[in-house]
Amino acid sequence: MEYWKDANEPIEAFVKLFEKGFKDPDLSGGLKKVNQLIWFDYTQDGPDCSFWVDCRGGELKTGPGKPDDEPNLTMSLSADDAHRSWSNKLNPVMAITRKKIRVKGSATGLLKLAPKLKKVAVLYVETLKELGRDDIIL
Amino acid sequence: MKANTGKIIDVDLSRGAITIDELPEEYYTKYIGGSGLAAKIFWERGNFEAEPLSPEAMLIFMNGPFAGLKLSGVSRHSTAGRSPLTGGWGDSSCGGYFAPELRYAGYDGLVITGKSEKPSLLLIEDDKVKILDAAEYWGKGATDVNEALKERFGKAYRTLVIGPAGENLVKYSVILNEGHHATGRAGFGAIMGSKNLKAIVLKASKKTMTLADPEKAEALRKDLNPRIKEALASEVLHENGTAANLIGGMYAGDVPIRNWTSNFWEEAAEDLTGSTLTETYLTRRSSCAFCGIACKRVVEVKDGPWAVPEGPGPEYETIVSFGTLIGSIDLAATCKAGRVCNNLGIDTISAGGTIAWAMEAFEKGDLTLEDTGGIELKWGDMDTVINKVVPLIAAREGKLGELLAEGSAAAAKKIGKGADYTVHAKGLEAPMHDPRGGGHGLALTYAVGARGACHVADPMLFAEMGARYYPEIGFEYELEPMTDENKAEAAVTIIAIGGLENSSCFCQFADAEVTIPDWIELFNTVPGYGWDAEEMLRAGRRVFYLKRLINFRFGRTADDDTLTKRMLEPARDGEPEGIEINFEGMKARFYELTKMDPVKAIPVKEVLEEYGMGDEAGVVW
Repeated sequence: MEYWKDANEPIEAFVKLFEKGFKDPDLSGGLKKVNQLIWFDYTQDGPDCSFWVDCRGGELKTGPGKPDDEPNLTMSLSADDAHRSWSNKLNPVMAITRKKIRVKGSATGLLKLAPKLKKVAVLYVETLKELGRDDIIL
Repeated sequence: MKANTGKIIDVDLSRGAITIDELPEEYYTKYIGGSGLAAKIFWERGNFEAEPLSPEAMLIFMNGPFAGLKLSGVSRHSTAGRSPLTGGWGDSSCGGYFAPELRYAGYDGLVITGKSEKPSLLLIEDDKVKILDAAEYWGKGATDVNEALKERFGKAYRTLVIGPAGENLVKYSVILNEGHHATGRAGFGAIMGSKNLKAIVLKASKKTMTLADPEKAEALRKDLNPRIKEALASEVLHENGTAANLIGGMYAGDVPIRNWTSNFWEEAAEDLTGSTLTETYLTRRSSCAFCGIACKRVVEVKDGPWAVPEGPGPEYETIVSFGTLIGSIDLAATCKAGRVCNNLGIDTISAGGTIAWAMEAFEKGDLTLEDTGGIELKWGDMDTVINKVVPLIAAREGKLGELLAEGSAAAAKKIGKGADYTVHAKGLEAPMHDPRGGGHGLALTYAVGARGACHVADPMLFAEMGARYYPEIGFEYELEPMTDENKAEAAVTIIAIGGLENSSCFCQFADAEVTIPDWIELFNTVPGYGWDAEEMLRAGRRVFYLKRLINFRFGRTADDDTLTKRMLEPARDGEPEGIEINFEGMKARFYELTKMDPVKAIPVKEVLEEYGMGDEAGVVW
């Protein structure tokens, strides 16, 4: 991995990012509309390198690892590309076309979140700073 | 040669003569099929002096080589000729069910000239082709006539029908298959109308076609169909239709608003996007023949002023052209507008674009109440648009109807005002993708496209999104939409791919999953063209070149490869606010790379000869 020291580090950052996002009215409103259980699968970088976001039923939860329930949507990519993605430095369409991101399940809900990636990137920078990882800010 | 039948129906409506012609095989291997083959036929047989709506004008319907194959995305055909809207080369792709039926009936296309003395229809039943009286259908709506024809001949008969707009020679009237699949652009409905040809009705008794290598073609078909259906983009299109990403486009600045004066309208993003249509009015999904994507919408608006019974729903282009472009975010109104335009036989893109221009002209005082016959044209006034303006245009009624029936460029010219805020290239109103936000490469391809501003002449729009990647031929550009970087370079390949798409009549949504090796395998196992990548791309680029030669013979030059002032001024808001498009830089570089003459805007003689177009070169050089 180019940006991360071990498989735990990106998951800590991404879970923290979503916990921040849940507190933002705009982002949390958008996530609730997605209404899916999403598994972000980075296991190509280690068996524990993944986390989930549960937007179902008007509640928002997140945690490390694979969710207990079957996810509605799985997005598989590398932890480095995930870092680029949350930094809004990875064109998701391009990444999917080039098979850098593999999607299983319905991604139509996520389209609604695409316009909010800029805002997510701002929160992500804050998150990285709080974790002392200013060095990998893109 | 397989798949293609090599036969076309040649109809002279003036003489009532019908002949079956055979085309040389070389036409196919050099110009593929579809709009490319149509261009070759026009080049060889067309009357370049004939006005588009004169009896001498030629109207061509042409299949691609894959028509009839049970493969997602290939059941399209191309209609071509001299556009009454632009005066230049025109072609328009139409999905639906006509193309496979024509192939099964034994033909690759139809060439129609002349003018029938009275309203007529063409009936094709295998080798029986007849011209029948159609007086009872004249003056009636396209959707209504489609139903009447199905009742008369049978549901299995496929139809191409024009509405009253085509009869009245509205310059952007359409031809509809099955009452709603549109040959939308460039005004071919008016050519049918000018020939007194109301409809073409078609049925094949057998549903078979030949294949060059049946075993390999079948294996490829079985591989491609699930890949196309299960692709992420296909699933999104299936779920929420062609407007699925309107919300993303709005935030990117791709969606035009109020005649391209704005690039952002937050409320519209949510109100008009595809998922909102799904949640509000969608009753079911439908498709073109053999397509697993099924991006078509079937909608019902149960009540309110825009109530419509269950039937075809609006696509992205209609939602925007009868939505934000004219200042409305009323999704139900777009459902109604689409239905009204279909029955009258009008292209929603050019209609919306022309009405948006008229609204701005009225706001500026360039159009007065006297010009409009007392009708106030106000942004978002959908009642006036749907119940007054569109019917007036279709009937060419009153000063306003007569003016707007000509399209925005001609209307501005006629009143001597407002050309600066028209939005078109070569006279064709731009589709609902604004290059200032959608991608600067789109500005280039809008301008150099043969028929005018067109987002489906080639896949530049998708390439700038990041959705085109052909590593086998070195097309690995990571294009940033709002710059000119590598756009001319990318366009050199993009126009070749566009030539393949529009000549093989392959839907751009479906062929996104088709790799270069797949394309080669398709051409070699279905019609058996025997190509490698280089020869295939040369054919695609040859099609682009031939259309340019045709335009040159119509008097078009490099000055016509441009966009209007409104399209090139920096956006006033949204994501692209203030960013200039380096249009002239991209254009000059593209001409340089394709070795096109900077004045004539056609390839130099040596290039034409290199592409096996020596005879054509002899005409223009």
